[in-house]
Amino acid sequence: MAVETMTIEIVEAAVATAAGFKAIGAGLAVGLTGMGTGLAQFGIGSAAVGATAENKEMFGLALLFTVIPETIVIFGLVVALLLLF
Amino acid sequence: MFEPQTMSKLLIAASKDQLEAVVRELYRHNLFHIEDFVESDAQGLEGCKIGMPLPGASESSSELVRIRSIENTYSVSPTSMDAGEQKMPTSEVRQRIERELLAIEKEAAAFSGEKVSLENTIRDYRTRIAELKPFTVFPANLADLKGFEYFAVFAGLVPAQVSLGVPNETFIAAYDKSNLLIAVVPRENAEEAEKELFDAGFQPVQIPDEDGTAGERTVWYTHEITRLEGDLGAVSGRIFAQKEKNATFLVACDELLTAEVERAEAPLRFATTEETFVAEGWVPADMVAVLTSDLQSATDGKVFISEVGFDPIEDAVPVEYHNPNFSKPTEMLMDIYSRPQYGELDPTILVSIVFPIFFGFILGDVGYGIILLALGFYLRKFLKDDAGKKLLDVLRNASISSIIFGLIYSEFFGFSLPWSPIGINRHLLIGSHAGGHGPDVVLMLVLTAWVGILHITLGRMIHMYNGAKMITPGRHRSKVIFGQFGWILVMWGILLVLWSLFEMPLMPVLAGYPAVFAGINGFGVAGAVLTLVGIIGIGQDSLLELMELPTVISHVLSYTRLAAVGLSSVAIAMVTNYIAIELIIDPQLANLNLVGVIIILIGIVIFLVGHTLNIALGILGGGLHSIRLHYVEFFTKFYKGGGKKYEPFGKLLKFTED
Repeated sequence: MAVETMTIEIVEAAVATAAGFKAIGAGLAVGLTGMGTGLAQFGIGSAAVGATAENKEMFGLALLFTVIPETIVIFGLVVALLLLF
Repeated sequence: MFEPQTMSKLLIAASKDQLEAVVRELYRHNLFHIEDFVESDAQGLEGCKIGMPLPGASESSSELVRIRSIENTYSVSPTSMDAGEQKMPTSEVRQRIERELLAIEKEAAAFSGEKVSLENTIRDYRTRIAELKPFTVFPANLADLKGFEYFAVFAGLVPAQVSLGVPNETFIAAYDKSNLLIAVVPRENAEEAEKELFDAGFQPVQIPDEDGTAGERTVWYTHEITRLEGDLGAVSGRIFAQKEKNATFLVACDELLTAEVERAEAPLRFATTEETFVAEGWVPADMVAVLTSDLQSATDGKVFISEVGFDPIEDAVPVEYHNPNFSKPTEMLMDIYSRPQYGELDPTILVSIVFPIFFGFILGDVGYGIILLALGFYLRKFLKDDAGKKLLDVLRNASISSIIFGLIYSEFFGFSLPWSPIGINRHLLIGSHAGGHGPDVVLMLVLTAWVGILHITLGRMIHMYNGAKMITPGRHRSKVIFGQFGWILVMWGILLVLWSLFEMPLMPVLAGYPAVFAGINGFGVAGAVLTLVGIIGIGQDSLLELMELPTVISHVLSYTRLAAVGLSSVAIAMVTNYIAIELIIDPQLANLNLVGVIIILIGIVIFLVGHTLNIALGILGGGLHSIRLHYVEFFTKFYKGGGKKYEPFGKLLKFTED
């Protein structure tokens, strides 16, 4: 009996640990890709704001350039969702 | 539809005595986009000069400057005003300008003078109070510190007590982390005393020119400021009353004079000789007949008008959208990116259909949709210019789509509606009511990837169409068309290979057939061949393009943001509900007391703040991501843009009529 209870407990703990690692993985996926996007957008964004201030017509193109790195964090978010569900 | 308004190029020539009549008629129709005449580049019109302004231009513009200055005083702006029910006849406006303008101008100048002088006095008194402040610790009359013949007075701040080596009388008192020091010394010792003081870290402060103690004077000035502010309020009230009275007249003057100035300056854009002038420009093809006949009758037939041929691809033809009404607001989103060229396909309609669908797919929540709809109607009061109205129309369409998707998803501020979601479940397993299998994440991701595949294929097909239409037949054209076809082949080839290897929901199942080559079945081999042919197609168009091959996959995957961003919005909504209601409000309601009521109020605040934040994020997420998918993933496949905006000479009269 005691051995059986032990085994069930161990299995439960292992399942919980696996779930925990998944959650950590999901967090890392979103967090790290978010940083990557942030780093990339930091340069593009400041240049884009400068360009738009000089010439308002640049706005569309500037927005376009700024959002290009956003794909990275979206991939992170997709990976996180796939991990969690 | 799918094409800009067809344009005709008109050449209008007449003798100079018809100039004013022609300009007036063109302005009234608001149809003629003037092609500016440039002397250095006068093809066919060599030797012509640019024209001189019509007489009266300088008078009209100086009157316009006066009107604008009055408008400034009353803060009236023609763009932010709705057209009145009754338009003023121009003859009446003219008469009233002559009769009343001077009086109105004087009145406005008097108001603005009064206001400025009151504001200046208040500012002056505030400065004086600030100057008096250090002396509030000095109890005697400030006038007593001035006017000595044999003594010099020093006043200022010192960090600590100073004892001077010369005969003196000093007052010192603590003031604001420092000390106010007033020292009176005989004039012959002044220099010595000053040196000693500066050595001790003395910062001189000017003694205010006041009669009375600093405290008394401060009270007096504070009183005065209150009184003057009352006066200022009264003046502002009178200005407002006058604004109400004069606003319609002012905007009518503005419109009339602007029209006069613009008309008077039009000849500067025409080619002229000694006796004649020539105006070149663009008119929508279906309006040519109307304009021609009206010009003929306005000049008694003394005008020559002819349609000139042009090259729709090479010439810079001004572009006016030609869309059904429901697509018109979306033109604003197109202009932010770039106006289409005259010859290319105008994708406005596609954007106007797909953009709201994307927005609703991301922010599908009945509650949020209703709030955005209400917000849009409320903002209509403030945004009255054309672009603002269009933006609000786009927002309205997007929020209606959001409500429809909310009904499908069964979502209301993150709660579920009384029915189960139809097709796609986005409810996350958060809170005690959570049950079932959780959100259909994989289903949504595959669905959005499909959206991407179809959208991108459509984009490539439009590029092929544009190529066929805009490039002259020949080797270059076939290269471009086959290059674009190559992109489509590569994408679908890769898909075939994937389908032959894996089983995926919502995708055709082609796995499990007998292998033909290296463990890959027939479909896989076909896919690989398609991919290879596609790569050859892309390469023969441009070798450099091959570098972009990974975008086939990354751009399709980019569409999965529709699912991901939407789910994150649902998660925020559900978490807000969970914290505010289940964790804070519900336990208190079970056992109500005074502290509980306060905690419930805090819970309500959290609920409101959370959802407000989520709505703001929803507009950003739903709007920006949807438009980005168009700009980056869709438009880069075919869209050139850079068309010249059609800006007809003239103006639709809002406040006046001829």
